[in-house]
Amino acid sequence: MGGECVLSDSGQEAPRNTWFLQGWKASRMFLIKGSVAGGAVYLVYDQELLGPSDKSQAALQKAGEVVPPAVYQFSQYVCQQTGLQIPQLPAPPKIYFPVRDSWNAGIMTVMSALSVAPSKAREYSKEGWEYVKARTK
Amino acid sequence: MSESELGRKWDRCLADAVVKIGTGFGLGIVFSLTFFKRRMWPLAFGSGMGLGMAYSNCQHDFQAPYLLHGKYVKEQEQ
Repeated sequence: MGGECVLSDSGQEAPRNTWFLQGWKASRMFLIKGSVAGGAVYLVYDQELLGPSDKSQAALQKAGEVVPPAVYQFSQYVCQQTGLQIPQLPAPPKIYFPVRDSWNAGIMTVMSALSVAPSKAREYSKEGWEYVKARTK
Repeated sequence: MSESELGRKWDRCLADAVVKIGTGFGLGIVFSLTFFKRRMWPLAFGSGMGLGMAYSNCQHDFQAPYLLHGKYVKEQEQ
């Protein structure tokens, strides 16, 4: 049995080669974590996700084209391996709601109402005053 | 700046913000799990950095209307 023996706190002998094993385990865990974190950083750098806005837009568009078929193929693979049958959901209804047109129409309606508000208020108040005068006679 | 160009800029800004915030959040998750003992601050830090970078890009995009966004096209061999 090689290695010097050193007394530990409990008074029992602890060989020095255990220190090396513990250090090796700690450094191995650090290497694994560092590899994972470094790989994530390199992936972000390689795909230019934190770069100019047009590169990010292209990456988002590419992800939108790639992810749904990949998810579908993975679900098919899981179904084949496990024998489960995923029920086919009906297609979601396509709702066409042009937000920009609605917003523009709303803005124009509000602004036209505000522009005619003084003259309309004057007209209604005049009619109300005529009505009250007619009723009090 | 025409309305269509303005709309394209807004689309680009929103897509950029989504990508950068998501990337910052993802990197925050990775570093929180690997080095920072599952704390929450790396997630907030990464998301905040992504949001700030997206805001800066949008600001440059709207304040410099004469820059053209081109793309590389490979030359076809004759």
